[in-house]
Amino acid sequence: MKRESWVLIGAMLLSVPLLAQGKPLTVTGVRGVTFGAVLPGVPRVVLRTDPANSGQFDVKGPKGGPVLLSFVLPLTMTGPAGALMPIVFGSSDAGYSATQSIGSQVGFDPRQPTTVVFPNNGNVSVFVGATANPGTNQRAGAYTGTITLTVTYL
Amino acid sequence: MRSITKLSLVVAALVLTGTALQAQTNNASITATASVQTPINVVGAQQLSFGNVFPGVNKTIAATDLTNAGRFDVTGQASTPVTISFTLPATLGSAGNTMPIVSYTGVHAQNNAQTGGSAFSPVAGATPTLNASGALWVWVGAQVQPATNQAAGVYTGSITMTVVY
Repeated sequence: MKRESWVLIGAMLLSVPLLAQGKPLTVTGVRGVTFGAVLPGVPRVVLRTDPANSGQFDVKGPKGGPVLLSFVLPLTMTGPAGALMPIVFGSSDAGYSATQSIGSQVGFDPRQPTTVVFPNNGNVSVFVGATANPGTNQRAGAYTGTITLTVTYL
Repeated sequence: MRSITKLSLVVAALVLTGTALQAQTNNASITATASVQTPINVVGAQQLSFGNVFPGVNKTIAATDLTNAGRFDVTGQASTPVTISFTLPATLGSAGNTMPIVSYTGVHAQNNAQTGGSAFSPVAGATPTLNASGALWVWVGAQVQPATNQAAGVYTGSITMTVVY
């Protein structure tokens, strides 16, 4: 076989695994976690199954491929004049839906990187809930925090 | 075009395609938001005052007595229900002497004149609602029972009210 043929075969073999990964990986923040009105001293829980207030990410990626989901989670939300309010994520506060339906989630711990397998259409949704823990003397005002989801091909 | 050149183009295309697909990580962010309402503030605005008390003669101050009943002023989030509870002394003290204080009564209202107010038992507590401006007034009355040989003096005790959403 000619040397050129070996080079071509080598290049194709190098590319095949990458091509097999299919369409590009995209992650989209669809909806934030909304606690709404929170009273000082009264914890407010948003469930990952809450269709109006839970956070949602949509992910498009490899058909049938395994990916790693990992979050960067805030410990606090920041309010007026730098006031902080704790936000807590529990061991089942994240959910993964292969049908992108909030009603058919598989719960997982957002504090730990989690491996999931994409469905054949390559589209999934990830939902997240949390608990806000205002102090009894929590300063009034609007508080925000950022939740980041990173998805990595395996 | 020579075959070696064609081969180079094919290899380059394959490698470039592969390189583009090597963007194996992606991420996005969402925001968690909350709107914290006004914290509760409680002020002991007026003492529960029995005035002069005579040995062997019980004296009662009604919660409706705007002059002598104890009063707490509460502020917080407008039109929001709260739970109030009390720590109530069983006796008043004076230099080692004690005098029983019993039969606590209470009134809460959304104005400082008790108009439309509601009576309640401080022992049981209550769940009133702050008015449209976020204010609430609470009065406390009670009865003292001096013994016939009650030592003279000024007797005091502390009544604590706790308010939570």
